[in-house]
Amino acid sequence: MRNFAYYSPKNLADAIAAIRDSGGDILAGGTTVVDLMKIGVREPSALVDITGLAELEGHEIGADRIRFGALARMGHLADDKYLVAAAPVLTESLWKAASPQLRNVARLGGNILQRTRCPYFRDTAYAQCNKRSPGSGCAALDGGETSHHAIFGGSSACVAMYPGDWAQALIAFDAEIHTQGPGGRRRIPFADLHVLPGDTPEVETILQRGEIVTEITVPIVPALKASHYLKARDRESYAFASASAAVGVELDGDAVRDVRIALGGVAATPWRARAAEESLKGKPLTEESARAAGRIAFADARELEGSAYKIKLGADVVAGALMTAKSRANGGK
Amino acid sequence: MAQTINTAVTRTDAPRKVTGTATYAADVMPAGMLHGALATSSVAVGTLTGMDISKAKAEPGVLAVFTHDTLPDYKSVKGFYSGGPGSASFWPMDTAPVRSYADNPSSASYWPMEDVRIRYAGQPIAYVVAQSAAAARRGAQLIEATYDVSESHIAMDPEQSFVVGAGEDSKGMVVTKGDLARGLSSVAQIVEAEYITPFQHHNPLEMFSATAEWRGDRLTVWMPSQSVRTLRAGIAQAYGLAETSVRVISPFVGGAFGSKAGVTPYAMLTIAAAKAVGAPVRLIVTRPQMYTVATFRPESVQRFRLGADAAGRLTAFEHIEIAQTSQFDQVVNAGTHITRAMYACPNIHTEQRLSRSDTNSGGFMRAPNEMQTFFGLESAMDELAIKLGMDPVALRRVNDTDRHPVEDVPFSSRSLMQSYAAVADSFGWADRTPEVGSMTDGDWLVGYGCATATYPTNILASNARVRMQGTGQAYIELAAHDVGTGTYTIMAQIAAARLGLPVGACDVVMGEADLPVAPISGGSTTAASAGSAVHDACLKIGRQIAAQVSAMSEGPLSGVDPAGITLENGVLKAPDGRSQPLVEALASTPAGEIEVIGEFRHKAMTDKMIMTTFKGGYGSAGPVTPEMAMFAFGAEMVEVRVHRWTHEIRVPRLHGAFAAGTILNRKTAHSQLMGGMIWGIGSALHEVTEIDKPRARFLNTNIAEYLLSVNADVREIRVEMLEERDDYVNPLGVKGIGELGIVGTAAAIANAVHHATGTRLRRLPIRMSDLVGKA
Ligand SMILES: Cc1cc2nc3c(=O)[nH]c(=O)nc-3n(C[C@H](O)[C@H](O)[C@H](O)COP(=O)(O)OP(=O)(O)OC[C@H]3O[C@@H](n4cnc5c(N)ncnc54)[C@H](O)[C@@H]3O)c2cc1C
Ligand code: SF4
Repeated sequence: MRNFAYYSPKNLADAIAAIRDSGGDILAGGTTVVDLMKIGVREPSALVDITGLAELEGHEIGADRIRFGALARMGHLADDKYLVAAAPVLTESLWKAASPQLRNVARLGGNILQRTRCPYFRDTAYAQCNKRSPGSGCAALDGGETSHHAIFGGSSACVAMYPGDWAQALIAFDAEIHTQGPGGRRRIPFADLHVLPGDTPEVETILQRGEIVTEITVPIVPALKASHYLKARDRESYAFASASAAVGVELDGDAVRDVRIALGGVAATPWRARAAEESLKGKPLTEESARAAGRIAFADARELEGSAYKIKLGADVVAGALMTAKSRANGGK
Repeated sequence: MAQTINTAVTRTDAPRKVTGTATYAADVMPAGMLHGALATSSVAVGTLTGMDISKAKAEPGVLAVFTHDTLPDYKSVKGFYSGGPGSASFWPMDTAPVRSYADNPSSASYWPMEDVRIRYAGQPIAYVVAQSAAAARRGAQLIEATYDVSESHIAMDPEQSFVVGAGEDSKGMVVTKGDLARGLSSVAQIVEAEYITPFQHHNPLEMFSATAEWRGDRLTVWMPSQSVRTLRAGIAQAYGLAETSVRVISPFVGGAFGSKAGVTPYAMLTIAAAKAVGAPVRLIVTRPQMYTVATFRPESVQRFRLGADAAGRLTAFEHIEIAQTSQFDQVVNAGTHITRAMYACPNIHTEQRLSRSDTNSGGFMRAPNEMQTFFGLESAMDELAIKLGMDPVALRRVNDTDRHPVEDVPFSSRSLMQSYAAVADSFGWADRTPEVGSMTDGDWLVGYGCATATYPTNILASNARVRMQGTGQAYIELAAHDVGTGTYTIMAQIAAARLGLPVGACDVVMGEADLPVAPISGGSTTAASAGSAVHDACLKIGRQIAAQVSAMSEGPLSGVDPAGITLENGVLKAPDGRSQPLVEALASTPAGEIEVIGEFRHKAMTDKMIMTTFKGGYGSAGPVTPEMAMFAFGAEMVEVRVHRWTHEIRVPRLHGAFAAGTILNRKTAHSQLMGGMIWGIGSALHEVTEIDKPRARFLNTNIAEYLLSVNADVREIRVEMLEERDDYVNPLGVKGIGELGIVGTAAAIANAVHHATGTRLRRLPIRMSDLVGKA
């Protein structure tokens, strides 16, 4: 690891100034950024530790929205029984992520900004990685192992997969993030936060240097209560998703009034499956229509070597998640 | 005194481990110690064309950077590399295809940093010494190497395989009995199938480390090891030192599983660097580097042809094992000599083949010969049962045998069908409906599967020193190891039971090469072999004290013929009923203290085997002696569930019943068997070292992406240990159990997956992706 300077500002203004002056990276729980520093992938000259900023802590369930401070810990939220009742997709996608140890230190702001697990990105022995060293090529696409890569949103420069779980719940439910930076405050629809790799896979979000995520808000809609996060993975815990779905439904009798579907483990960014949602609106939600929605969700997937299974798996996961959400909408578990 | 054998005794070292006072190798910090770090090759095959070490040298704290031209003592360590130590050493001595530990403790032929050649990705190319571990690692990151890259391939090509060894050396590698073609011509059913197992790495929790300190020409090395005497022999050879000048210390090991069995390059480089800088150096290998600086389980293809008559009796048995090896070693984990011992069959053909690819050398990983081969054999048996319309347990019963099918000697004991009966009972096998997919529970497809477990009983010469004091303590010393298995505890139990002392009064010292000879802790040998030496020492103490007290003018045994005195549970007993507790008798002797060397030699051990073990090699007299075949047996049954939507494969229940002779400690034995079964779940469903084909590199070199089973994957595990008496194997009647539990689990799971879904999966690990679109 390269030596670095360490700052621990006590308020937002100081933090923004510290980032500007030092050119350093933001440090929250550190489970992404310190990990990448240890393996030589990130070499910041400074870390600005924002965990002393009390105003970024906490979460509340309000009348029309749920607010999450950017420093709330993954592990704490998953245990909040009010949140479990109000928005199961938000808690399930947290506790099914990582391990208890990681969830105890990782913060929500850091969580949504976690980096890809592409093994070529994470190992500097590979000369080729456009995301790590722009213009160097892509070892994954150059004959590499791509069974864990993105089948949505990839480009010829990079097919890295966005590995996070919680982000799928956020994008499905139209979350917004609130930031403060050198240019003042911003409110950003969560769906706009991450950008596709295109020719510049090194750019992952629209955040500017020194722009700090302060909070995340999720509007409360009926489908949030009848929501579910289904995560398929080869081991029961502590594994990234092979495919996952964040879903929610609101029923009007038999017919679907509102439905949300987002896909994890398959895309370059958090990924909303709008066409699949549309296919269900106004129609009855049955095993058949759920399976059809799953297939529609994956209709334009771009298969990579070794990843064909994700298309079928993902479709089944969407269908399975919708059936659980339906049963929740009908008062079940 | 309570009988301590075959009871559940809590580990004597548990408090030290829990409180952090157990000193592991990397906890030791000799005065003035510096830190080492390895830089490794990013390419697999080629030559180094340049190395820029200037940035590394300029890094604050970095004191020295060694490359192939500056590594000191180059000549003396030349040729001394161990990627796959002792590939031959688990093979019966007289059929060893390559040189054994005794001739060359590394048994490998390629030493990194010898010259500019690169023969595998992750090969050490430079060694950095610094004032802190952080500076050393940073220095290693800053080394810039350029290469002339040649073609490489990491996956073996099974079509390019060859029979292990050459000429005389290949004896035992191709075995034929009867006439396979004839056996195949008159069968009711044939199963012909190929089963594939992947590269796997041990990933012990305790990182690989080595700390070396030179004082003149005396050297001390602290390193986690399951074979301290092998390590010492290798180091002494490499540096031209007398073995008495080298100390190797390894009191605690945080998981070895075969990965800490031999002389490894990181140790040898650390020793060289410590010599050059004139200060002690400690290296802790990083997790990713652990994949290429020691060994792994090579990938393999298991080809089976099984033919049976309508009653299920095997008429033809063919097994060809093709395993991966490096370009410079023949790493032989010979599984065919285990599979052909399993079932009665008149016509048998087995071949042990290898295929080369560009990796470091593989080696031993828990049940190195058995895990892969029994995935194949026991899957094939299941396929055969289905073809025959037989219950899979019934098929095993029909083919059970009390004689080794090839060697034609009896088994010293064999409780295979008793194990099946016990496990079937506890598991509820009778509830299984044989039709595929016939058992469901909500969104879950349910399947039951079973498989045979076995492990050869390897027995090696061992000594042990026991000193007993009349005040009621005993000190047991031997160069054996506790690799986390409970050896400290069982050695104390054996002594306690024989000497009549509390377990806590028996102090066990192990893990140092200077102690009395004990074998490598590999191949599930330690309890049987080293334990028998402790047992012998205690009996000797009994005899010597009996002789002394019977010659005394007073005392309970005064005047008794010492030849008639026996030692039972710590009490000396005369035929006429007179008796005296051993500790009392000892206290009454003039010295009040006694020290003896106990020894374990089996009548089947040749002098060559004994010498091999004494030199740090593997001179096992098992599993087949001229008189007997010695194996432990067991049976496993598993319930598997496959989810209808996610295709996730889960294992809610895994039961095993095992018979392995005397069980010394029911608690630690249970843990060993359970641990093996858990690892079996991992082998079946989780573990695989992924590979990057174009650049011939291991890919998922961390324990986030190399999936090991976690607690949530392990639900009900039930272990039953059956009574079994075997007076042939050793005086304690102990067979090894360290590896038995893992054997068969993967096949049982694959068989259960087939039962649940109708999909036969012949490649490990079995993943969701294999079932998508199918079940
Ligand atoms: C072994 C392992 C397994 C994992 N498994 C999963 C999993 O299954 N599912 C899953 O979803 N995740 C998983 N993760 C990822 C984990 O959830 C993230 O690493 C964690 O949430 C990041 O939070 P942090 O507070 O530690 O972030 P940090 O590492 O501190 O920061 C992450 C990034 O965000 C930036 N940052 C942090 N906070 C802010 C802020 N407020 N404003 C602007 N920028 C900020 C940092 O500069 C850095 O670039 C896993 C991680 C590991 C190491
Ligand atoms: S997929 Fe993206 S992150 Fe992975 S190697 Fe290619 S460019 Fe790098």
